[in-house]
Amino acid sequence: MRFLSKAIVLALVFVLLVACASNDNNSGNQNTGSQSQQGNNSVSSGSGEKTKITYWTHERGRAQFLQDTVDRYNETNTDNIEVELTILSDNFAQAIDIAYSSGQSPDVYNVRSSQIGPLSQLIARDYLEPLDDYLTQEHLDRHGSMIVEGINAYEGKIYTLPNFGNSIRLIYNVDLLEKAGYSEPPTTLDEMVEMAKKITEVGKADGVYGFALPYKSANSALRRSAHAVVTLSGYERSGYDFKTGQYDFSGYYDVVQAFRQMWEDGSTLPGSESLDIDPLRAQFAEGKIGMYFSTDVEPGVFHNQFPTDINWAASIVPTKDGERNGVSLLDGGVWYGISKQSENKEAAWKFLDYMYSKQVLMESQEIAGWLSVVPEIVAEAKVPDIPGTEYFMAGKYDGIWPLPPADVIPEGRNFEQEFVDYIIVGGDLDEIIERLNERYNAALERADVHVEPDPDFDPSQLQGE
Amino acid sequence: MTKLRNILQPYVFIFPSALIMIVFSIYPIVWVFKYMFFEYFGYGTPKYIGLYNFERLWRDADFWASLKNTMVFTFGKLILTLPLALVIAVILNTKLRGRNFLRIMYFMPTVISIAVMSVVFYIIFNSYNGILNQYLMKFKIISENIAWLGPNHAMLSVILVATWGAIGNYMLLLLAGLQGIPNDVYESAEIDGANAVRKFWYITVPMLGPVLQIVMMLAIITSLKGYEGIMVLTEGGPAGTTNVMYLYLFKLLFPISPGGPAAQEIGYGSAVGFAIAVIVGIITLIYFYASKKLGQIDE
Repeated sequence: MRFLSKAIVLALVFVLLVACASNDNNSGNQNTGSQSQQGNNSVSSGSGEKTKITYWTHERGRAQFLQDTVDRYNETNTDNIEVELTILSDNFAQAIDIAYSSGQSPDVYNVRSSQIGPLSQLIARDYLEPLDDYLTQEHLDRHGSMIVEGINAYEGKIYTLPNFGNSIRLIYNVDLLEKAGYSEPPTTLDEMVEMAKKITEVGKADGVYGFALPYKSANSALRRSAHAVVTLSGYERSGYDFKTGQYDFSGYYDVVQAFRQMWEDGSTLPGSESLDIDPLRAQFAEGKIGMYFSTDVEPGVFHNQFPTDINWAASIVPTKDGERNGVSLLDGGVWYGISKQSENKEAAWKFLDYMYSKQVLMESQEIAGWLSVVPEIVAEAKVPDIPGTEYFMAGKYDGIWPLPPADVIPEGRNFEQEFVDYIIVGGDLDEIIERLNERYNAALERADVHVEPDPDFDPSQLQGE
Repeated sequence: MTKLRNILQPYVFIFPSALIMIVFSIYPIVWVFKYMFFEYFGYGTPKYIGLYNFERLWRDADFWASLKNTMVFTFGKLILTLPLALVIAVILNTKLRGRNFLRIMYFMPTVISIAVMSVVFYIIFNSYNGILNQYLMKFKIISENIAWLGPNHAMLSVILVATWGAIGNYMLLLLAGLQGIPNDVYESAEIDGANAVRKFWYITVPMLGPVLQIVMMLAIITSLKGYEGIMVLTEGGPAGTTNVMYLYLFKLLFPISPGGPAAQEIGYGSAVGFAIAVIVGIITLIYFYASKKLGQIDE
């Protein structure tokens, strides 16, 4: 009996050790992207049978356009390729990670960093196939000027080509501004604070407030607002100073102070501290908010999700004194990449070649409503037929910034959270900025990345013609 | 042969649950024990950093603030939940008409999804058009909207939501305990002239001792570990005022960031997870030691 007990305990321990060991092996494979772990999703079959390409994206708002585009490809391509589109609404990053760890990654997928992390991390995980060997001169001519190291390319190799970008604007209710005595949107932060105060004074009895942001998520609130203000003012959005090669968050001082002032004045919609973006949009559509910041998805939102009769418009974001020393960041600039695990890279590229063809790129602006950043398309494609889109077309003061060093992960709260906490409860902003500088520069040192200060860096050079 | 079967039988029965326990409990614990000594963000090679994660934990003001918030949340929830659950259980243990219906009603929140419940409470509490403010204004109790989810009241709001969700569960456990108290004890007390309050203090509460001990322990552990409702209602904000320990840990391991994936701090998160487990363990042990007397019924 005692012997049997020991044997069973030993067997259980053995099972545990085997489980640990086998997992270690798996994680090793995951990191090396071993091609021996191929799944069955993309099976290259013998002659006569179609080559199946799996294609994943999170762009559910454009599902119909993408499905139509894929259907057309499946019907017309002469390479016997069949593409299967999967649109994942939530947890796209987790789905991709799980697919890779089980060797079932899609052949082609959306590599947008705001969804699945920066390109450097995807390369570190050995997820992506470089496209350099596939790209033709036509692609390089069309996209070449928009290829940015860290966004489309990494250490000289190109992994994804740009298509569209999300511009950021100050969105305002024209009627509420007029009621408060203003005919133009603000161009300086002081004007914005003053206008918000006046709109609130005039409309508070009817539940109208001058300003709102979805402060429940610090990232969501500042990504669509302060990031644009600081980049248009000539500072990099993550606080990195290309000139010195160090982090310096003083560029955020004025905009954060302006938001704090609107909070203190009572011009910010009550409850903004627990507001998500959709309830905010609903309140704006009801005519209860004077101004807020957001991206070019808003015309579609007010067209389909929260149809509204209010008279709204959008303008380029204000800066401290109206000076525009940089460009308001265009978020995005990437689209699809090919998995390194794919067994059908050639076929995957043929499909990608189709998706990046002039026809599909033109349609993605004209039909799907994405605002292209590809110069040739910007010049030739029509403005999408959704009211309000015209305010968001990329112009001289919109642009893609070079990337700061990758993998700088500070200990503790990120800067967005620190600033939003200050906006809501106050404190000493100088001290907060000093603390952030210390923490981010310590993280930069710890990350052990090579940084080269560029004293000649001039953000105004990022402006277009 | 029969002897061997008798020996093997219990192990065969134990094996499935033991396997599940090993895969879902013991293995993750071993995994955490390993990674708490590493810097690891979920990709690349984990870097061994010795005890650095614990050194960082020691000076991590956000962690200690979350511990303080957890204590406030736990205390607030317990102080409201347990007396209310006990009073309701005692009332529903009488021959009240419609008691079965009331029992179901009180138990209902326990079976509703916490996320759904929190969304409903958001509609009630939000300060720009919340139902609570509308009624308080209507009855002239307040003259200006109160920010129930603002920095001053958010903790109170999440405690109220948690209390609402928990009362039914503890009521049921206490009700089961009450039904185990023999009726003749009450009858003899009545003959001695005891009124309802005396019966409650000198019979019900002491006789419920062992059940109360377990119910309170469950309530303490559940409150210390509670974060789901808070995540939906406030995400730990505003300004970290409702950021409890487990939510802090959750956000380290699974960053919730609509603006994009933040760094997944697997190494530091493992160290925090270990520290939290130790804290919860110590609190539970202290409770057990302190409540020893509660578990004994004096003859």
